[in-house]
Amino acid sequence: MNIILATLAQLLLFLIIAPLVTGVIRTMKARFQTRRGSPIWQPYRDLHKLLRKDMVIPDTASWLFSATPYVVFLTAAMVGLMIPMVAADAPLSLFGGVLAVVYLLALGRFFLALGGLDTGSSFGGLGSSREMTISAIAEPAMMVAIFTVAIAANSTNLSEVAKSAVGQSWRFLAPSQMLAFGAMFIVLIAETGRIPVDNPATHLELTMIHEAMILEYSGPYLALIEWGASLKQLVLMTLLVNTFFPFGLSPAWNAQGVAIGLAFYLIKIAIICCLIVMVETTNAKMRLFRVPELLAVAFILGALALISTFLF
Amino acid sequence: MHFFQDPQFGNRIITLMAAFVLVLQIAMVGQRWLVTNIRVFAAQSFLLAGIANTIAYFNHAPHLYIAAFLTFTLKAVALPIVLERLVKRIDIGQEIAPLVNVPLSLLISGGLTTVGYVVAASFHRPEETMSAANLSVANLGHNTLAVAVSLFLIGFYMMITRRKAIMQVLALLSLENGLFLAAISLTYGMPLIVELGIFFDLLVAVMVLGILVYRIQETFDSMDVSKLSRLRG
Repeated sequence: MNIILATLAQLLLFLIIAPLVTGVIRTMKARFQTRRGSPIWQPYRDLHKLLRKDMVIPDTASWLFSATPYVVFLTAAMVGLMIPMVAADAPLSLFGGVLAVVYLLALGRFFLALGGLDTGSSFGGLGSSREMTISAIAEPAMMVAIFTVAIAANSTNLSEVAKSAVGQSWRFLAPSQMLAFGAMFIVLIAETGRIPVDNPATHLELTMIHEAMILEYSGPYLALIEWGASLKQLVLMTLLVNTFFPFGLSPAWNAQGVAIGLAFYLIKIAIICCLIVMVETTNAKMRLFRVPELLAVAFILGALALISTFLF
Repeated sequence: MHFFQDPQFGNRIITLMAAFVLVLQIAMVGQRWLVTNIRVFAAQSFLLAGIANTIAYFNHAPHLYIAAFLTFTLKAVALPIVLERLVKRIDIGQEIAPLVNVPLSLLISGGLTTVGYVVAASFHRPEETMSAANLSVANLGHNTLAVAVSLFLIGFYMMITRRKAIMQVLALLSLENGLFLAAISLTYGMPLIVELGIFFDLLVAVMVLGILVYRIQETFDSMDVSKLSRLRG
């Protein structure tokens, strides 16, 4: 019974907070650039509007086109259930924890790329090929960084990782943790399509990646994909804050612990949002061919982190 | 503040700074802009001075403060200024042109770091130092040897693969940073007179190399050292 409640609570929290995070980042970025920006609940309005609209489906599209939004949304939501969010115990733990997280995200990305290719438009294919190029390097970097933490905790189960970190003071000052954090942060920027890699604010530009793949989607499908994208963003941010700085995680699912955990969680997410906004405003978008260099840096940082766990 | 006395805390801080020194070294490999490279080197030297200070504080080795001070004034302030002025004066293209492309260089330096760790691991004898009461003070800074070895290896690699003479000077300097880090982490500093000698040697070397770079530029209209094989009257 308790586990069902926990699952529902975490799922609801993720679904509700995810668009808010997108909105907060957008507004903060606008303020940084001395624009007024849209209100922070604008993503909810967008989703509401899209869900009521009719869809246009290209004649050339097959079943893959319709399956993609569900796969993208559901994989992101499922990964959300496998990560400790407000309590150290994640409601769901499947085959190998971290590995399942990485591969479920990869499954969503794979379908998104297929959906982009399916309609046969040249933009879609372009976006898909770019997305796959980037993820081919981002994924190993992410795995290496997470393994560093998993080795320190002697478990690939994320709940165990979070629990083992509680009570170790100065742990996050260890070089391996810092390096792995740096690697994960670059991966976060790349995977969520933030500025040095992709520009989330453009709709028609030759350099776009995420937007190019979903160009043919409209109405409820687009809503599902956008919601899935913001879920994935929140999931990755949660993974980052709760594996490296697991302060305030509630040891059990009870009302008081969850309230405190949620407060800590929101503060941590807000700090990560600030970091992302600062990176986005102070950097220019990279040329596509320079992106692998940035990701190579992430991979090297992750690899150094892994090496240094064995020595320091 | 109790943790200012705690050698465990000192050890953490030193290891952390050493890790950042290593990251900056790799950033130098990955960086394409000459001036940024010089600034990264300055930041690296600054951290190195920080490490020397921390070791001096936790080990009560006052002569290391002097070494730290010299590192700071010479390597983190004076040499970068000299080099930046040199870059401005000879007005060369900002982009460095390495012989090996950047992602591959990054991977190679990652590999060199692994080699550094493997080499340094054979010097690490925790069971011998463990016997001393709770290791900490005796072991302080010992684990930075791996970082120091990786610093020289990557420094050598940069010297080999960079075409521009000024980048080779920078690579030499970062290699020397590795040497200094090895010296302070293993022995808490060489005798002061040796260190003074090294510092002034380095300063003179950079001055001479600066003049040489300027002459190469004047004579060959380029800083590409691979063109030096041509004879020209």
